Amino acid sequence: MSALALRQTAALARRSVMDTLRLPQAWFPSLFFPMALLAIFTGSFGDAPGNVPGFPPVRGFLDFAVAGSVLQGVLIGGTTAGAAFAADIEGGFFDRLVASPVSRTAILTGRLAGGIVLGITQTLLFLGIGVAFGVDVQAGVLGVLAIVLLSALLATAVGGLGVVLALRTGSAEAVQGAFPLFFVLLFFSSAFFPRETMTGWFRHVADINPISHLVEAMRDQVIAPIDAGTVVTGVAIAGGLAVLAVAASARALHRRLGAA
Amino acid sequence: MTKAIEVEGLVREFRGDIRAVDGVDLEVDRGEIYGFLGPNGAGKSTTVRILATLLRPSGGRASVAGHDVVREAAAVRRSIGVALQDAAIDPYMTGRELLRLQAVLHGIDRARGRERAVALLERVGLTQAADRRVKTYSGGMRRRLDLALALVHAPEVLFLDEPTTGLDPISRLTLWDEVRRLNEESGTTVFLTTQYLEEADQLADRVAIIDGGRIVAEGTPERLKAEVGDPSLKVTLGDLHDMDAAFEAVRPFGDPVTGSRPGELTLRLPRGAAAVAEAVRALDEADVPITGLDLTQPSLDDVFVAKTGRHLEGEAQAEGEGALAER
Repeated sequence: MSALALRQTAALARRSVMDTLRLPQAWFPSLFFPMALLAIFTGSFGDAPGNVPGFPPVRGFLDFAVAGSVLQGVLIGGTTAGAAFAADIEGGFFDRLVASPVSRTAILTGRLAGGIVLGITQTLLFLGIGVAFGVDVQAGVLGVLAIVLLSALLATAVGGLGVVLALRTGSAEAVQGAFPLFFVLLFFSSAFFPRETMTGWFRHVADINPISHLVEAMRDQVIAPIDAGTVVTGVAIAGGLAVLAVAASARALHRRLGAA
Repeated sequence: MTKAIEVEGLVREFRGDIRAVDGVDLEVDRGEIYGFLGPNGAGKSTTVRILATLLRPSGGRASVAGHDVVREAAAVRRSIGVALQDAAIDPYMTGRELLRLQAVLHGIDRARGRERAVALLERVGLTQAADRRVKTYSGGMRRRLDLALALVHAPEVLFLDEPTTGLDPISRLTLWDEVRRLNEESGTTVFLTTQYLEEADQLADRVAIIDGGRIVAEGTPERLKAEVGDPSLKVTLGDLHDMDAAFEAVRPFGDPVTGSRPGELTLRLPRGAAAVAEAVRALDEADVPITGLDLTQPSLDDVFVAKTGRHLEGEAQAEGEGALAER
């Protein structure tokens, strides 16, 4: 990528971050819902899920659940980024970009980079809130870095998927409509309860659900010393999804511009 | 030197058989203000979108600033400024931020981008509002910011798609002044679409009238009006049901058509204003009560009527606003 394309990416990323931060409707859901859910679960299950069969040895439910909230926040944030891209198409900002000599790559990378910045910020914020309420990240700084890396990759994957939907439909509503799908994926995963507590078909779904493996890769850093194995698995899954989503969004942009 | 814009046999079809642009030919000289006048759906915006590289033509060819809009799209984009209809402006950004972003999109370096933002904000009278979010701007301020955004890289050719639609008369006049000044001072070629004949008349060196995807008339506003030639009489009837009788009564003096409002008819007078008295007498003899009479010299709307048999859409409200400026 040329120096100019990088500068254009940074400028567009900055705009998408500012647009999100200045519109409370855009950032509030990705902050509020994961935190509310975390508070409810933690309140109900108290301090000692370690006594429950199937739970890993943790000091409290909060330690167990904070990774699920981080992941949930990134999912919502990524959907919002996709919807914002669709709003740009609806509102005409996209036309302004296309009619200018801006690097075509930067149109995509600007939006995705903005989503990554927001995803990382939110991850650090959630972890910070967790720590304030007594979470102790067992894997230390390296663990936090691993969680941040996983969040960034997942933000890229979800943002990229949102961008594909935006380019195909040109409708922010259509992109927002995909959001419940993520929620279903989240609930059929080990985000809130360990897979060991599940039985039957539910367990099978959770086993093949990539979200399970991502959340476990994050959670392991909180509840156990750093373990390269789970990090590598998580990065491979999230990275693979990110590569697929970016490739698909580049293709969708190419098609949209070509078919204009 | 090549023309600023050259278009030959341009066609754009949507979904197979709808021809939004149906064989348009035109040439715009460098430094000219060219008005593209027509009702909603005439193909104005589609033409502009093709010239701005946002749409591909289905047939024909077009070049802007000497570059082909399909094969040399990147070169076209460097030469043009575009302010599209429904100004796409982020409500949560400030005017200055948007200008500086636009400068980056055009590859202008940081320091120069900052200078350009200051100069352009000053130029369009938004210095006071520069650091306010756009959502607090009035319609006129947004259009002026949109114009400034299109000028950030000092383009050779400026496309303005319905720049004043929905603006109040004062904001409209301010924007006209700005476009005129820009054209005089920088020699920028302006391609302007509008559904207001006033705008085309006041601003454009040459006007093309487009309807149903085709250009039906082209020339200087003066020449177009002279071609239509005759003054016309607008008659407002006291009773809508008298329309047929009124048509019959005035037919000997000209060719009546229904007006832009119900109960109105417009009569072209080939024999000049002298026929007014006779026409009125004929209406009186036919027992058709009249509540209003208005004699007008030809306007671009009359050109439109002469070519298409219909009035320009939106003229009903624009006439009232523009009347002061014309007389």
